[in-house]
Amino acid sequence: MMQRHLILEDGTIFPGLGFGAPATTFGEIIFHTAMTGYQEIITDPIYDGQMIVFATPVVGASGIHAEAYESVKPTISGMIVHDLAEVSVNRQRRMNLDRFLKQHNIPGLYQVDTRQLIRHLRETGPQKASIVDFADEHAIDQLVATVLTNKQVQSTATPKPYANPGRGRHIVVIDFGLKHGILRMLGDYDANVSVLPYTTSVAEVLTLDPDGIILSTGPGDPRTLPDSVLTLIRVLQSKVPMLGIGLGHELFALANDAELMPLPSEHHGMNHPIQEIITRQIFYAMQGQGYAVDASSINRKKLFVTYRDLVDGAVQGLRHREFPAFSVQFFPDAAPGPLEATTVFADFFETVEDYVEHYNQ
Amino acid sequence: MSNITINNKIKKILFIGAGANDFGREAEHDAAIYQVMPELRGHGIEVFVVDENPYALSLESLAATTFWEPLTIENLKKIVKENNIDTVAPLFGGEASLRLWAEVVQSWEHGDGSVPNTLGLSIEMLLKVNNIPALTAYMAKNGLPVINNYVLKAQDEANELLRELQLPLMIRALHPNQTNTRHIVERLDDFEEAVNLAKLQSVTQEVIISKAINGLKEVSIEVLRDFRGNKMQIGASEDMDPIGIHTADSLSVSPILTIQDQLISKMRDYAFRVADILQLQGVMHVQFAVDDDTNKIYIIKVSPYIDQMATRMSLATGYPTMLVTINLALGVALEDIVLPHNFGKNTAIMEPMMDHVVVKLPVFPFGELAQAGVHVNRQLNSVQKSIGTTLGFGRTFIEALEKAIRSAHFNNASFSPTNMAYINDDELIQQLIHPQDNRVLLLIEAIKRGYEIDELAELTAIDEFYFYQLKHLHTLEEEIEADIDSIKSLRRGKKYGLSDGLLARFWHTDFNIIRTLAKENHIDVTYKAVEPSAGEFPENARQYYATYESENESVQINADSVLVIGSGAFRMGDAASGGYATTITMSELRRLQYPTIIMNNNPSDATLLPHLADKQYLEPLEISDVMRVVELEKPQAIVIPGNRRKLIKALRDLGQQVIILPKEKHTPSGPNENQSEFALNLFYDGQNIYPINLTQHMAGEVRIIPQIANLPHEISQKEIDSPGVYQIIWYQNTVTWIDTIDAADIVHDSWLRPMPFGQIAYMTKVMDVQWIRLTIRAALHELTDQDVTTLETINQQPIVQPLSMVAADVNYRLHLQPSEVIDGTRFEIGVGVNYYE
Amino acid sequence: MTNKEVLDNASLQRALTRITYEIIERNKGGQDLILVGIKTRGEFLAQRIASRLEQLEGVKIPVMAIDITNFRDDVLNQEDNLGLNEEEKNNIADKNIVLIDDVLFTGRTIRAALDALIHIGRPNSISLAVLVDRGHRELPIRADFVGKNIPTAQNEKIKVLVQEIDGHDAVEIVH
Repeated sequence: MMQRHLILEDGTIFPGLGFGAPATTFGEIIFHTAMTGYQEIITDPIYDGQMIVFATPVVGASGIHAEAYESVKPTISGMIVHDLAEVSVNRQRRMNLDRFLKQHNIPGLYQVDTRQLIRHLRETGPQKASIVDFADEHAIDQLVATVLTNKQVQSTATPKPYANPGRGRHIVVIDFGLKHGILRMLGDYDANVSVLPYTTSVAEVLTLDPDGIILSTGPGDPRTLPDSVLTLIRVLQSKVPMLGIGLGHELFALANDAELMPLPSEHHGMNHPIQEIITRQIFYAMQGQGYAVDASSINRKKLFVTYRDLVDGAVQGLRHREFPAFSVQFFPDAAPGPLEATTVFADFFETVEDYVEHYNQ
Repeated sequence: MSNITINNKIKKILFIGAGANDFGREAEHDAAIYQVMPELRGHGIEVFVVDENPYALSLESLAATTFWEPLTIENLKKIVKENNIDTVAPLFGGEASLRLWAEVVQSWEHGDGSVPNTLGLSIEMLLKVNNIPALTAYMAKNGLPVINNYVLKAQDEANELLRELQLPLMIRALHPNQTNTRHIVERLDDFEEAVNLAKLQSVTQEVIISKAINGLKEVSIEVLRDFRGNKMQIGASEDMDPIGIHTADSLSVSPILTIQDQLISKMRDYAFRVADILQLQGVMHVQFAVDDDTNKIYIIKVSPYIDQMATRMSLATGYPTMLVTINLALGVALEDIVLPHNFGKNTAIMEPMMDHVVVKLPVFPFGELAQAGVHVNRQLNSVQKSIGTTLGFGRTFIEALEKAIRSAHFNNASFSPTNMAYINDDELIQQLIHPQDNRVLLLIEAIKRGYEIDELAELTAIDEFYFYQLKHLHTLEEEIEADIDSIKSLRRGKKYGLSDGLLARFWHTDFNIIRTLAKENHIDVTYKAVEPSAGEFPENARQYYATYESENESVQINADSVLVIGSGAFRMGDAASGGYATTITMSELRRLQYPTIIMNNNPSDATLLPHLADKQYLEPLEISDVMRVVELEKPQAIVIPGNRRKLIKALRDLGQQVIILPKEKHTPSGPNENQSEFALNLFYDGQNIYPINLTQHMAGEVRIIPQIANLPHEISQKEIDSPGVYQIIWYQNTVTWIDTIDAADIVHDSWLRPMPFGQIAYMTKVMDVQWIRLTIRAALHELTDQDVTTLETINQQPIVQPLSMVAADVNYRLHLQPSEVIDGTRFEIGVGVNYYE
Repeated sequence: MTNKEVLDNASLQRALTRITYEIIERNKGGQDLILVGIKTRGEFLAQRIASRLEQLEGVKIPVMAIDITNFRDDVLNQEDNLGLNEEEKNNIADKNIVLIDDVLFTGRTIRAALDALIHIGRPNSISLAVLVDRGHRELPIRADFVGKNIPTAQNEKIKVLVQEIDGHDAVEIVH
C-alpha cells in the first residue's frame, strides 16, 4: 500500500496508507462515530460527495453484504479509517472493502491517527479536504481554490418516476435522494410505492391518489432547492398524511415558515438520546446532520416540536397543528442503526389507515 | 449524585456480597458494591453490607454498617430483622447473591414481618430469573428466540430425548446447589455421565437438556433500563472462540468487529425486549448465539445483575455503569441522573462509543499447577477453567491482542511462541478442533505451516477476520526478524504493539537496546484517552492506554504524584488478595492527599474504579510499559508489589523512590495435610519491629492463637528492608488447634517472609487494624502518634473475636479434572469466614 | 378461557400518543378543552392523554371522571349519580369535551354519558375517543379518535389492562 495524505483546507496534513482507488478527490470532510454499519454509511446518498472519517478503530471486518447497500453506487468522495480489514463474505467474488472502493473509484486512507483528526475536526467544524499523493503547497492551494458543488440533491435524486409495487397502501415518495432503508421499511408494510422526482407537480401527485406521502432524506442543503418544492409540500400536507425524513424534515419545516440554523458541532452517529416529548421516552437512532430547525423560529400556530436531541437540544421532529403531517430529522429506517426508531413508520402507517378510514365514512 | 427525589420509602438498604471467590467469580461484585455505597449516604439512606469474603473492600468501607458473616439464609434474615432493613440490593452481588436472596424470600414466614423490597427486580421476576426453564418459557411466550429446554429426572427419559434431539446436546442442573456448569455432549459415550453429574449438582436431582449450538458465534450485549422503560446499550463484545468454549475462557473483543449492523441491531432489540418483560430497573447482560450465514440468533443467557461483562465494559468504554445502575435501581430516570462533576454532562445518557479495540484474555491456572506437578485437562470446553482476566487496549486488534497476551502471560512458559514448533501435524489438527489455552499460538503455527484461511475457519469455527489478522501479524514478525536493527521495522513493530522484549528476541539483543533505539529515533509512545464519546466531545478523561500514533493526550498530572503498580490478573494462590492490597493502598494515598496514578489491566477487581485514582493507565505491567509511564509522569514515588524484583531494581537504578508492598516472589503455599504452619506476625515501620500475634494455619483454616506474642530474639533488620507486615514461619506435625506456643519452637528452623496479602486482609478485619494503610503510612513517614501507640500495644490483646479464615470449597475436579486432588490450602481461589468455639 | 394479547405496552402507548396528536389537530390548540373519562379505565386513559398534552403544550387540561354504572334513563335527578362535584358540573358549559372510554361496543354506555353531560352542562361540543373499537354497534354512534380497530365476535371480550390497576398496559382478547 502506498503512502498518501489527507490534506485539509486549514493546511493540516495527515499521512496514511492509501487503499481503494488511487484517485485524488475533493470533498467536505465529516466524522462519524457509529461503531457499526460502515457499508450502509458509505453507500448512503446523504453523504454524496463527502469524505467520511470513522471513529471506530477497525473497518471492513464484516465484509460487504448484499443486504447492506443503501444505494447501488456509493458516491462519497473518500473514506478515512484507522485500521482496514480484508474480509470477504461474497460467494461470487472476493469482494472486500478495499476492492469495493476500487470498483467505485473512491479513494481510502488508513493508518491515520483518526482520533487526532476527529479531535481536530470537532474544533474546526467541517471543511474542504482532499486525499492526495503529495501533500505539498501546490496541493493545498488547489484544495483552497476548489469550489465544491452544492447540487447534491440534483445529482442523486431520480429524474424519472418509477414504481416499487406492493399490495398495500399507496405511498408516494418524493425523491430528494433516497436510501434503500426507506424502501425496505415501506416493503415491510407491503406498501405500493411510487417514487417521483421532486419536480413533480401537485396535480400529478394527486392524480395518483396516494394514501400517504414521504419526503425523502436527501443529501445536501434544502435551501438550494426551488421554491416550487415548498409549495408542493404546503399543498400536499393539507390533503394527504405526510412524513418528512432528514432533508424532507428540513423542507417540511421551511414550507411552514420555520428556519434552519447550523449546529454547534455536526453530528453523525447513533449514540445521542432522542426524546419523544409527549411521553418523555428516550430512544436512539442514526443521525447525520450539520443543520437543525431553529426552535425559536417555529410558528406555534403551524408546527410543534415532537422530538428533541437531549445532548445538543436540536429539534428532531415536528408535527403540523392542523394536518396529519409530521417529520423527523433522524433516520428511522435503521439502516444502519437502532431498530427502536422504526416505530416512526408504524406511526405513519397508522395515520394513513386513519385517513383512509375517515374518507370511507 | 444530585438531590433528585428517589423512592423515599427507602430508609435502610442492605447489599448482599458475592461471597468467596470461585471460578467465574472474581472481585467484580465487591468492587461494584464498594463503589456505589458512598453514593447512597447523601440521600439519607442508611447502608448495610454483608459478605463472608475477607478480601471484601466493602466490609472496610466507612459508608456502611458492615457484617462479616457467612452468607446463609439464617444470617440474612437475622440481619434484615434486627436492623429493620426495608430494601435489599442483591443485583450488585451477582448471580450468587440473587439466588441466596431468592431463597430467603421463598423461606420467608408469616412471623418474619413484611418482606423487604428488592431493588431492580420484582420478587416475581427474581424467582423467574432463578429458574431457567421458567425464564426460557417466559421469553418464548413473548416471542423471543430461545432454545427449548427439557427438564427431566430419569435416565430413560433422557435417552428418549436424546433420540429425538440428536447430539450435540447441552446438559445442565436445574436448581444447582453451587456452581452452575453447562456440559456439551458431543459423543454418545459421554451422555450418561453428563446427565448423572448434572443430577448430582441439582438440589432436586433434575436435569435440563437442550440442543447444543456449538460452532456459532457468541455475542454479549450489555443494556440498561429505567423505571419508565427507557433503555440503552452500554457495551457489546464478540468472542473469537465459538460456542462450545465457555465465554469466560474465550478471547473476547470489543467493539464487535465481524458482525454486520443489521444482526447487532436485532440483538440489541431482543436485549431491550428481555429488559422490558423482566421490568428491569438496572443493568443486564444478554448472551446470544449468532449464525451469521443464516442470520439466525438465539438468546442463550440472561443475567440481570452485575457480572464480569458489566465491569469489563465499563472499563473498556469509560461509561460509569455502576453509578448509573444504582440510580436506576433506586428509581431515578435515565435523563435525571446526575453524575459526579468529573464526568461529562451527558455521559449517563449517551451510548458509549469506542475508538479503540479491547481484547480480553482469560488467565488459566495451568502454569502454577504444572510447576507443582499437578496435571489437569487443558482442553477448553463449556466448563470454565480460567480463574482471571486481563485486558489489552490498542488501536488495532493485533495491538490489543499483543498487549493482552503480555498482560496475561508474562512469566508463563507455556505461552512461549517456540512451544508450538515441535507439535506434529496430527496433534495440530487435533488441537485446532479441541483447542487449549494457548490456541492463539497454535493458530499462528497453523498459518506458518501454510494452512489455508478458509480451511482453518471451517475447522475451528473462528471467523476468517481473525486468521487474516494473525497472518498479518505472522508476516510482520517475519519481516521484522529479517530486517535487523531497521528503524522502519522498529516503527512498524511498535505500531502493532510488539513489546521491546519480543523485538529484542527477534534481533538477538536486550530490551534496553530496543528502548534506546526507539528513543533516539523518536519512535515515541502516545497515550490516548478512553472516554465514551470517541472524540466527539471534550471529556475529563482519566483513563489512558499506550499506542504509537501521532498525537499524545496524556500530560504529567502532578510532580507530587504517587504511581501504584497493580498486580494484574487474579491468579491461583494469590486469589483476590493482590487487588485488595492495591486498592487499599490507593485509598490510603488518596486519603493522605497524594495525586494517585494506577497502572493495571485487571477488569475484575476494584483497582481501576474511577474514584480511586486521578489517572489510570490500562496497560501491561512489564518493565518497559512501566518505564514509559514513569518517564511521562515523573512521580515522586512508586508503589510496587515486592515480588517484582527486576522492576524494583530497574527503577532504583533510575533513582526513583520505590515503595515496596512486601510480597513473596511466589505466593507461599500452605502446609500439607499432616502439618500446621505457625507464624509469629510482626510489623516493621522502617525503624522498629512490633510483634502482633501468633497464628496457626491448618487444613485450609487460619486462627489466631490466644497467647501474647513477644519477639523471641533480635531480628536482624537486614532481613527486612521495607515497612510492612511480616511473619516468622515454622512447621509442626500437628493437626490439632493449640493454645500456647513454646518460644523455643519459634527460634528453631524458622524463616521470615512477608505476610501474604490474604492473611493481611483477614488480620485487618478480625483485629480492626488497617495493616496495609499502616504500611503505606510508614513508608511515606506519615505514621501518627496514635499509630505508634497502637503498634506498641497491639500484642496485648491477641483475640478480638473467634473468627477464622477458611478456604472456600472449590470444585477443582469439575473445572480442571486434575491428575491428583488439588489441595485448596496450597492453591487457594477463594476464602470465607467461620466462627469457632 | 384464553387470553390473547392484541396490543402490547408499546403499541398502546403509541395509540394514546396518536389520539393526543389528533385531538390537537381537530381542536386547533386545545382551547376550552375538557377531557372526560368514563370510569374506571377511561379515567386513567384520560389522565394519560392529559399528561401528554401537558408535556407537549405546557398547559393542564382539566380531566373529569364520570361513573355511569348507576346512571339510568328512567330515574330523575340522575346527574347526582355521576360522581361529579358542583364545580366540575359548572365547568362543562360552553366547553369542548372529549369523552374517553377504553372500549366502544354497542354504544349504550356512550349514549348514557352523552345524555348525562348534555343534561348537566350544555357543552359547546362533544367528541369521542376510544382506545379500542370492537364493532357490534346498536346505536348510531361513531368515535372521532380510535386507538385501534379490533374486529371481534359477540362471544369474545376485550380486556384493557392499565398500569394503575393491573400493573401493566395491554389489550387482550378473552375467549
